[in-house]
Amino acid sequence: MRQHDEFDAMEQGDDVLERAAGELRRPLRVNAALFDARVMDEVLRSPSGLRARMASLTQPRTFRVSPLVALAAGLLFAVSVAGSVLYVLPASPESAPRTAARAAAGSPIVQFGFVAPHASSVALVGDFNNWDPKATPLRAASTGGVWSVEIPVRPGRHLYAFVVDGTIWRPDPAAPKATGEDFGEPNSALTVADPGMR
Amino acid sequence: MTNCSLALLTIALMCAPAALRAQDARLDARLDAHTRDAVVALIDSAHAEGIPSEPLVQKALEGASKHADGPRILTAVRMLAGELGEARAALGPSSTDAEVIAGASALHAGIAPAALSRMRASRAHGSLTVALAVLSDLIARGVPGDTATTVISALTGAGAADAELLRFQQGVERDIAQGATPSAALGVRAQSAFPIAPRRTP
Repeated sequence: MRQHDEFDAMEQGDDVLERAAGELRRPLRVNAALFDARVMDEVLRSPSGLRARMASLTQPRTFRVSPLVALAAGLLFAVSVAGSVLYVLPASPESAPRTAARAAAGSPIVQFGFVAPHASSVALVGDFNNWDPKATPLRAASTGGVWSVEIPVRPGRHLYAFVVDGTIWRPDPAAPKATGEDFGEPNSALTVADPGMR
Repeated sequence: MTNCSLALLTIALMCAPAALRAQDARLDARLDAHTRDAVVALIDSAHAEGIPSEPLVQKALEGASKHADGPRILTAVRMLAGELGEARAALGPSSTDAEVIAGASALHAGIAPAALSRMRASRAHGSLTVALAVLSDLIARGVPGDTATTVISALTGAGAADAELLRFQQGVERDIAQGATPSAALGVRAQSAFPIAPRRTP
């Protein structure tokens, strides 16, 4: 009895599907004049030239991606965010700037980083480059506003700061503030251990 | 004296004035004549007393880059020369320039000269540069000077290596950044550090 009911239900389902397929197979009647008018109307309303390019940049779009691509993009984003955080946080025993393993003539290579998304230039100044804003410019990463430079710094305690856009002095927010006369522009302190000392 | 030794001595004698001239050239380019002369006189005087001159040159150049006026630059250089001299006296004549610079920073942070001498005694043969720098930085982070001095002296005396001292400082700074008071952060890190550091004691 129950099998009979299920058979009837299947037949009814087939009927519905058949009617839907028939509708889809039916030729679409289009009023050619009306269709052309609507197309031309849309063309005229759409922006052209620079407006079109700007509109294509500013108007929201919907993307369809496979779950695998979404997962890969998410992982890439997570890795890049983690990398940025590690970049600005102290990551070595050498205060905030990172000291690479290699050394140049007894001076460890120290990596300095500064985040300034809207800056047009960032320079490193300190007692290792005569406080010369032209001596050690930082290079901007392609994205994220992260500026960095690697230079050899002699072991010892050093004072330094960043100069943004040639005039604005900024201490390193991730490093200890230095004590002492700073002429009204705070410095950061860097301690570089001597690789040869214990 | 061999020919080789004579040659080395000649080269050294030739290089020394060249270095001084280079220092003068840096100051010439960045300071007005009056300030430069006064700074050079201070540097010469400090050099004669065995005080490292490069930090004084750098302080003058820093002031120039920051557009400080001449009297302020002179005051800053004079003050630093005094602190460097005091640090050298406290750390002893055998101390390195790097130790003296770090010692001057610690003095400026409020550490007593006697405390520097005690730290020197606790590490007679190793470098104190990193220990003194860590001390200054901890005080700059708000750790009370006497407490910081006690803890760093104890770690140094127990044979903590420079890398361990820097890790210790980072730990304290991290705890402070996460909301701990500077004193509490130092206390907690010290408690966890002391069981490790004394293993190096002979």
